Amino acid sequence: MAPSKKKHASNQPCVIPGGFTVLSLQFGSDSVAQHQLYVKEHKVRAEKCSHRPLDRTLFVLNIPPYCPEGVVKDLFSQFGSVQLVELRDHPGSFQESGPKLSRFFKPAAKQGFKVGYIVFHNSSSIKAAKSHPHDVPLVVSTEQRPVRTGVQKWIQAYTESFIQPDKLQQIVDSFMEDYDKRKEEEAEKQKEEAEQQQEDEEGWVKVTRGPKGTKARPHSEAANKKALQKEIRKKKRKELLNFYTWQHRNTQKEHIAELRKKFEEDKQRIALLRAQRKFKPY
Amino acid sequence: MKKKQTVAEEPGEAPVKAKRSKPEEAEGEGVVYHPVKLSRSDLYRPPSADELNQLKEAESLFHCSLLKMQVRPLTFLTSAHVNNNNNKLSHIKVPFLLVPKTTKGKFHMAPPASIDLVGSYPLGTCIKPRITVDLAVTIPADVLHPKDVLNQRYPRKRALYLAGLAQHLASSSDIGTMRYSCLHGNRLRPVLLLTPPCKDSSSFTLRVHACPPPGFFKPSRFHPQRNNIRTDWYTGSQTPLSDHRNSFADGVALLKVWLRQRELDQGTGGFNGFLASMLLTYLLITHRISNTMTAYQLLRNSLNFLASTDLTVNGISLARDPDSTAPSLADFHNAFQVVFVDPSGHLNMCADMTACTYKQLQAEASLSMQFWDDPTVDGFHGLLMTPKPMIRTSDHVFQLCELVKLQSSCKKLNLLSELMDHSGNYVHTALPFILSLLQRGLGERIHLLTHSLSPEPESDAPKHKAQPPLSFGLLLNPELATSVLERGPSADSPKAAEFRQLWGSRSELRRFQDSAITEAVLWEGKSMCQKQLVPKQIITHLLQLHADIPESSVRYVGAMVDDVIKTGSEPSTGEEESLLVVQSYDDLSRKLWRLEDLPLSITAVQGAHPALRYTQVFPPRPLKMDYSFFDRDKPSRSLVPKEGKPCPAYITPITVICHMEGSGKWPHDRLAIRHIRAAFHIRLGELLKKHHNYTCRPGPTHLDVWKDGLVFRIQVAYHREPQVLRESVTAEGLQVVRDNEEAQALEMATIHKPLLTSTLHGLQQQHPCFGAACRLAKRWLGAQLFSDDITEDTADLLVASVFLQPAPFTPPGSPQVGFLRFLHLLSSFDWRNNPLVVNLNNQLTAADYTEIKNDFMASRESLPVMFIATPKEKKLSIWTKKAPSVQILQRVVMLAAESLKVLEQQLMDGGQIQDVVMRPPLDAYDVLIHLNVKQVPLLSQAVDPPTVTFGRGVMAGSVTQAGGALPVIDYNPVALYLAELRESFGDLALFFCDPYGGTVIAVLWKPKAFIPTPFKTSQMTARSVEVTGEQVNAIPNVEAILEDFRIMGQGLVKSVEARTEKWSF
Repeated sequence: MAPSKKKHASNQPCVIPGGFTVLSLQFGSDSVAQHQLYVKEHKVRAEKCSHRPLDRTLFVLNIPPYCPEGVVKDLFSQFGSVQLVELRDHPGSFQESGPKLSRFFKPAAKQGFKVGYIVFHNSSSIKAAKSHPHDVPLVVSTEQRPVRTGVQKWIQAYTESFIQPDKLQQIVDSFMEDYDKRKEEEAEKQKEEAEQQQEDEEGWVKVTRGPKGTKARPHSEAANKKALQKEIRKKKRKELLNFYTWQHRNTQKEHIAELRKKFEEDKQRIALLRAQRKFKPY
Repeated sequence: MKKKQTVAEEPGEAPVKAKRSKPEEAEGEGVVYHPVKLSRSDLYRPPSADELNQLKEAESLFHCSLLKMQVRPLTFLTSAHVNNNNNKLSHIKVPFLLVPKTTKGKFHMAPPASIDLVGSYPLGTCIKPRITVDLAVTIPADVLHPKDVLNQRYPRKRALYLAGLAQHLASSSDIGTMRYSCLHGNRLRPVLLLTPPCKDSSSFTLRVHACPPPGFFKPSRFHPQRNNIRTDWYTGSQTPLSDHRNSFADGVALLKVWLRQRELDQGTGGFNGFLASMLLTYLLITHRISNTMTAYQLLRNSLNFLASTDLTVNGISLARDPDSTAPSLADFHNAFQVVFVDPSGHLNMCADMTACTYKQLQAEASLSMQFWDDPTVDGFHGLLMTPKPMIRTSDHVFQLCELVKLQSSCKKLNLLSELMDHSGNYVHTALPFILSLLQRGLGERIHLLTHSLSPEPESDAPKHKAQPPLSFGLLLNPELATSVLERGPSADSPKAAEFRQLWGSRSELRRFQDSAITEAVLWEGKSMCQKQLVPKQIITHLLQLHADIPESSVRYVGAMVDDVIKTGSEPSTGEEESLLVVQSYDDLSRKLWRLEDLPLSITAVQGAHPALRYTQVFPPRPLKMDYSFFDRDKPSRSLVPKEGKPCPAYITPITVICHMEGSGKWPHDRLAIRHIRAAFHIRLGELLKKHHNYTCRPGPTHLDVWKDGLVFRIQVAYHREPQVLRESVTAEGLQVVRDNEEAQALEMATIHKPLLTSTLHGLQQQHPCFGAACRLAKRWLGAQLFSDDITEDTADLLVASVFLQPAPFTPPGSPQVGFLRFLHLLSSFDWRNNPLVVNLNNQLTAADYTEIKNDFMASRESLPVMFIATPKEKKLSIWTKKAPSVQILQRVVMLAAESLKVLEQQLMDGGQIQDVVMRPPLDAYDVLIHLNVKQVPLLSQAVDPPTVTFGRGVMAGSVTQAGGALPVIDYNPVALYLAELRESFGDLALFFCDPYGGTVIAVLWKPKAFIPTPFKTSQMTARSVEVTGEQVNAIPNVEAILEDFRIMGQGLVKSVEARTEKWSF
């Protein structure tokens, strides 16, 4: 079932409309079924990111869950040496992650099918990959490189989840040191900005472009809202209620409308109950 | 047709035409409430005076008009033609037990003197279903003889007369079927049942009563103190009902519905429809109600009267000026248990009623009044719409199976004269005596003892033998019912003899701690599940001792479903284990509080695990590990599962949340907070190790503590962390607060779950069987593969609502009845249109209820399908946000209804109990993944006890309290495998598994997944392509997926059974 259309002769790459080449992949040499990987050179109109050089990056769809980065790297090494493998849940642009985290503090990665961006050392490797015949499957787990799944894998993961308290402490300490440093730097920067806003001894204020200073407007959404509400309340206080006759009349009208609406709602509720035949006790 | 008519008559005919057509078109299943939209012109029209009045009253009338509209469809004035009835009975039998065979007298047949339509039909008070039309046929005077009152001669003649009538009617072609029955189950009063042959009117039956001519017998002959045999009330009572207004009829109909829902109106000695109308008549005569009252008020007043009047002590009489020969009320009280005298003053209409039945009626009435007055309860629904079968009402039920044995009881109880009164009906004779015996024996342990009313048999000729078993229901008093000691009077008191007489050889002299020496009976029972059955021991003992009824013919339905949550070699349903866990946790909590040298102090220690609120299906047991079974990770002093060995015993980490004091020292950054928390885990671990020698393993998210053979997982929490997670800074430097899943999950774990745990822990203290009911419910959900859709917390809340809003029942007093009501709640609640409000700690007021309901109605579409509101969380239903989905909920509802039906039937009818409801139907699924039992750690919890057992690294012996290597914690291959499957194939299929020792994973393809979709880079997971010209379609690569099931579960999966015949792509 795997390669769906056998219209290409064997030893030929299978290219489907859209420009993707179909590669087949199976778990072991004795597996009966194959997954299909869809590969294409990475092409984006505007990505400045240097992590995925356009001419050397291969975009791969549908990588099974039992192929972590190391395995993928090995699999694609047959087309040329691989510089970097990036596996993602969904296709998308490269995201800058925050401060460097130890693996114990990273959120648990989702297991599942992935898309991959494989950066080769050499741009010719892309061509090699794209011309790989579809009836020669890539094999994930071989004797030289067994891939653990199932119980073996879970036991391994369980063992790897252990961490020495002193090592953990070390990680925490180094992170917090880093964090404090960053905080300090930020505070320094803010202080500088604030200084720049102040008058110098001759009474001049330096006006610059770019993000305005901290004082210019409320810094958070909540503060914005508060200011707005204050304004509304002020307005309300100034207003007189039931002062003119028409105002009084309007209030009464609103009241009746409210009652009517309620009445209609009640009626509908009854109709609903009736419609559900809720009145049949048995 | 009837329906349309009433819609048109609806009371609220406001001039507003806005949505008139809507109710009609919305009939049927899928009706949904839509917010009302009125146009501006409709809303702001000038109001008329009439309309103003109507609007103002609308709110107060809502309840009333609802009831009024309800009454209409109920009361059914049949338009069938009465004169078109007659029938056939192939061989005519005399509907009477001729014991003794002969008696004096002559009998000949003659046409009836008159035929009258009597009873509820001509009065318009009869109700659906099973409408009966009563015909009184007057026996001509020359057939009878004045001396026929003696020795049952009259009843015999009456039976013969009926037989004669039947023979005559048998030749007529207008009658469909013809059977005999007896009025109110009394065999002395046979009646003839006729049904018309046409199918459409088969819903009603014609009941022919034979009665003597008016004034033929002198009423004084039937004085209860004379040695005569009482006659039928039908002889005298033509009631002064005839010219009452319609609301009276409605009131009677409502009362009848109320009685019917409580199974009080059918059978011998019930409070039947006739008595209901008589009661209302009595109230009318005594001016407790008036003709101008609405049906609603009539029902209320009559229930109030029933609740406050004890007819077993103060009887009432309809006779206004009884003649001098009539017996006094005191005479009646001497002869009967319940007294309600008819207008003639000679007849007790409640003659057959036992005191227990009346007490039940009274209890029901006062219960109904109670929740009628409660604004938070939907009184109408509980009052008239919910059936209360005995098995769902009573905490324990037991049945007397072989009723023939009652013959010997009559002998033993010395009831020969009473037996004569009942013409040899030993069941009715022995019943009152058995009831009073049990009442005495059970005493304070029960609130109420009820019994089923034996149905009126319908057959060609009556027999005694083929009677269904007699059922008794017990409403337990939870505090006293389980006590194993029955302490009697002191040895020298005069009451001691009475006590010894009651208990026989079980009564012993015992010396107590307060140095009193008293008579006492000690029942067996160590664990809670044995103590639950103390009432059973009492009942079987008393019946055997005093009534000669062997234990074998008593079928006790008290804890029959509890087997599925029993574990271990000793019989226990987990109460003791739960208590042990809670005690160990309390100890840990104390020790945490006392820790010093922490940078910040601890502000709260809260449990957040079902085991800490007694609702864990199989509570964790203290374990002792066999080190040789495991590999070891030396540096962290931990055991590691060994490859090739069976999966080690599963150890649940019991979550404990430890809140740290807020302080300026906490950073205002999500990552930094996480690191600080980790530092706290390390510090706490160090201190616990130092002071108490507990083996600990700190990690970034939690700290595992090995204590008393249990594992506690301590999570440090900082109360501002969710807030920090919600804050973010936009590109312009504006700080915004946005809700997100991460923050919600954290709040759930650190705020909502601990709160729920402590609240439900409190509920357990009030209702001792709450925990067990929860566990049964969750075991059922697990067995039906719904554990992942209806989470533990949701299930606990559902059961809590059964205990907190029991109306129209009382709070469950046994796990079994709690479980049945849980199933009933699941299956009958209208999840589409109503929020389920769980009023924990009674914090919600009536105003809150309205608010919740209005909010719910306003945004129904965006809310979870199963909506549960609690006092702390009224608007979002966080517990059911993710699951269940509509389809799953539908299936749950269906299976719950089915299980309830099967289970109740099994419980009441005998036969082999349970398991059927605990076995999921697997034929609906597309793929079954069979697991290797060796790697299923919870195998011993399976519904079907496993045939093979594996060593799982656990040793017998006493558990070490502290120290030792850390065991394998929270390692369950099945759960890991399921998580992996769901993450990989979640968009293609659903995966179901019983978490309690299930050995099969059931897979259901999502129907949408198999529709070919155009090639899209974001949706290519596990799909293959099909190329047709330029069109590329993607379809799931099923073969590879099935192979993946095997690969991903290597070592765990035994086989993958693909039921290809079910698939249709």
